[in-house]
Amino acid sequence: MKRSRLARIAAVAAAVALAASGCTGTEQKSGPGTDGRIAYLDYGDFGGGSNPQANYNPYLDASRLGATEYVFEQLIAYDNYGCQAKPWLATEWTWTNPQTLVWKLRQGVKWNDGKPFSADDVVFTYDMLKQHKALDTKGIWRYLSAVEATDPQTVTMRFTQPGAAAFTLFGEIKIVPKHVWSAVADPVTFPNAEKPVGTGPFTVKAFNPQQLTLGRNADYWQADKVKVDELRFHKADGGGQIDQLKLSRGEYDTNAMFVPDIKKAYVDRDPAHNKYWFPSGGSISVYMNLTKAPFNDTAFRKALVPAFNRQEIVDKAQLGYVKPASQTGLVVPGQAGWLPKDLPNQGVAGYDAARADADLTAAGYPRNGDGKRVGKDGKPIAFSFRVPGAWTDWVQAQRIIVANLTSLGFTVRAETPTPEAYENDRAIGNYDMLLGVHGGSCNMFRNFQEPLASDQSAPIGKKAVSNFVRWNDPRTDQLIDTLRTATDEAAQKTAVADLTKVMTEQVPMIPLWYGAKWFQYRTAKATGWPSEENPYAAPSDNLIIITNLRPTGTNAK
Amino acid sequence: MAYFARRFAFFLGTLWAAVTLNFLIPRLQPGDPAEAIVSRLAGQSESVDPAQLQAIRIMLGAPDGNLFDQYLQYLGAVVQGDFGVSYTYFPYSVTHMIGEALPWTVILVGVTQIISFIVGTLLGTWAAYRRNSRVDSVITLGSTFLGTLPFFWLALLLIYVFAITLRWFPERGGYGGGSSPGWSWIFISDAFQHSVLPAVALLITGPIGWIIGMRNNMVQSLGEDHARLAVARGLPRRRIALTYGARIAILPNVTGFAIALGSVLGGTVLVETVFNYPGMGRLLLESVSSRDYPLMQAIFLFTTVGVLVANFLADLLYGFLDPRVRKAETA
Repeated sequence: MKRSRLARIAAVAAAVALAASGCTGTEQKSGPGTDGRIAYLDYGDFGGGSNPQANYNPYLDASRLGATEYVFEQLIAYDNYGCQAKPWLATEWTWTNPQTLVWKLRQGVKWNDGKPFSADDVVFTYDMLKQHKALDTKGIWRYLSAVEATDPQTVTMRFTQPGAAAFTLFGEIKIVPKHVWSAVADPVTFPNAEKPVGTGPFTVKAFNPQQLTLGRNADYWQADKVKVDELRFHKADGGGQIDQLKLSRGEYDTNAMFVPDIKKAYVDRDPAHNKYWFPSGGSISVYMNLTKAPFNDTAFRKALVPAFNRQEIVDKAQLGYVKPASQTGLVVPGQAGWLPKDLPNQGVAGYDAARADADLTAAGYPRNGDGKRVGKDGKPIAFSFRVPGAWTDWVQAQRIIVANLTSLGFTVRAETPTPEAYENDRAIGNYDMLLGVHGGSCNMFRNFQEPLASDQSAPIGKKAVSNFVRWNDPRTDQLIDTLRTATDEAAQKTAVADLTKVMTEQVPMIPLWYGAKWFQYRTAKATGWPSEENPYAAPSDNLIIITNLRPTGTNAK
Repeated sequence: MAYFARRFAFFLGTLWAAVTLNFLIPRLQPGDPAEAIVSRLAGQSESVDPAQLQAIRIMLGAPDGNLFDQYLQYLGAVVQGDFGVSYTYFPYSVTHMIGEALPWTVILVGVTQIISFIVGTLLGTWAAYRRNSRVDSVITLGSTFLGTLPFFWLALLLIYVFAITLRWFPERGGYGGGSSPGWSWIFISDAFQHSVLPAVALLITGPIGWIIGMRNNMVQSLGEDHARLAVARGLPRRRIALTYGARIAILPNVTGFAIALGSVLGGTVLVETVFNYPGMGRLLLESVSSRDYPLMQAIFLFTTVGVLVANFLADLLYGFLDPRVRKAETA
């Protein structure tokens, strides 16, 4: 009896092994689909941590899955590269006065359960964010005072102050159906896990923690522009070795990960199809603690601008993937239209140690007999420079920066704390010099208000919101206020140009390079990805990209 | 009986200390969970949006009352088995997340621990039985050599050879993207296939400790007077080895085995990370790195309680297996 059961178990085990080696799930070979369609595309990670749970609540930024990007839509879609708003669920918008914005909604849009989309849904969504502050992750109710449906196709929004500065946020707030969400007791703890209802081009087809599959929504309002039938997202291990290997084998049609030596590891494996584009993100800058000498001296900071070898940092610490940053705080060339006209080289400072040396001496910081740079008190200037030790590319940049400063006669202690200690010390102002990130968004108000407004700062020892250098300048505050209440683009441009002058003339921080947005894509099945030659959107503008993809080999637009 | 009562009191005391420490330690760590979440979302090269930080702070909520009130609330919740909502997997509860991860770990690590213990004890016994022979040198030297190999290197080597070069087994995960968890043959065979490489990695290194421990204990116990007396009396060698040597030598390993089984609940961080296995170890690592205090606390608590219970049971078992212990404690 016993023996026969053992034999049976062995037989079953053998059968299992056989079945398993023969079958690898649902994978099937497929090139471009029939009749000018793409059967499916393989995407990278879909978020939700290492053990993702079904979560399609578009406002739970920390735990929702990437599917929400394709299931839900916004009033407008922002091209975050060129900073252009595209009509989406709204076809047009008018500022009837600086504090009133009227949206005309698109006709004929349906939720994927067949119910019609209307102004009630928009009003419901915005009111829900007002009631549940935990869902208002863009902080839109800092600006709004009321949202009303004028008629089923028109929404009127009122602002507490002139609202132009908040406009980009409408490109980030997903609209949810009133008929589903009004029945939810607490939308903050609502995972929306079963068949999420949205207006977007895709619906959730299948999910398990390893793979998320989205199917095309045949009734989508611009269904003719969506040529992809299925998107398959694959759980990653955070850009590790295995993912890089799968990428190099062409197992992803697109991904967004850091790859060392991308030319050799990816492009050269299939030069005809494997492409990448790393557009610039935020500015990574030297933050000086402006409450301490000598950093509180404008002449000192200004003299330091040419002291850093940005090109060497870009080439050696950043593998040449990024570009040196403009002192203006803006991202060039994408945002060059906002710069003052007379600015040489778009504000990107070259490396000129001799000039830095001369300027420092002229500013009252000469070298002493030992070649050490001394402060106004006659003592050698010594300070610490911190980057998180776990961020190895920043640590490499730190070496170059410390070498640059040491050659000017400064005594610099390179420190590499944990990211938590670094973040905490940065927030409470317990540092001399460190690297920080700011700007990079299409929202010019945010780009300057967050790092420079005095109300984002705090006394040393208290946590600052985002003004970590503790820049406190009434004129800057006034310009930021002008920018916030500016009612048209011309007025915004004047304020931004003046703020870039604050950056170049008073140097609250010294930008060195731009963080990169990682983006790899393959043209074996689909073409029409945004690229350096055709930068119609940023890599994260999913809705815009998915409506631009075409099967390889067809030119139909 | 006094022995068992004393063991039980000791168990309760340790349990209380563990639960209390588990409450205190996360609160002494630096770092704000909301900040950790937002900086993870923004990534290294993007600036953090203060509005998002504010919203997430509201979402997570702040603990009410002073530390003592929080402690009482915590004790009450722990007794009811309520560990709150996970921060990283909001709005899913900690209990739900552990329920998802626990079966993977218990099956993979539990089964390999048991096999390791059996194989290790048998090999150790064999080595001691044939001590100083060629078999002994092969087993002892072989396991010492394998034991010096870094585990992650071994695991990566397995992945490289069997998953990437030969493509016999999948390189990571607990199951493939095509199947969905359930009691279907496709899923079970898929999960089995995914478990082979991590299991092999665990089985290569797992028995080593048991082998060395068992061999050394047994060699020692075979050298004791009663074993020599048995030899002098002319008892069969095999009987001496098994009843006089192995039976005594296995005692310390029983405690070790019980603790190993208890710690299964915490998973094996290294194995699960290298193979991206959806078990408790990876969940623990993730909760620590993202400051998910509720999840972290619950996993630590599970592990501690697992080890304590196992230790307690081993103590009880010991009392039965080895009368000397019982007598020594009561005397």
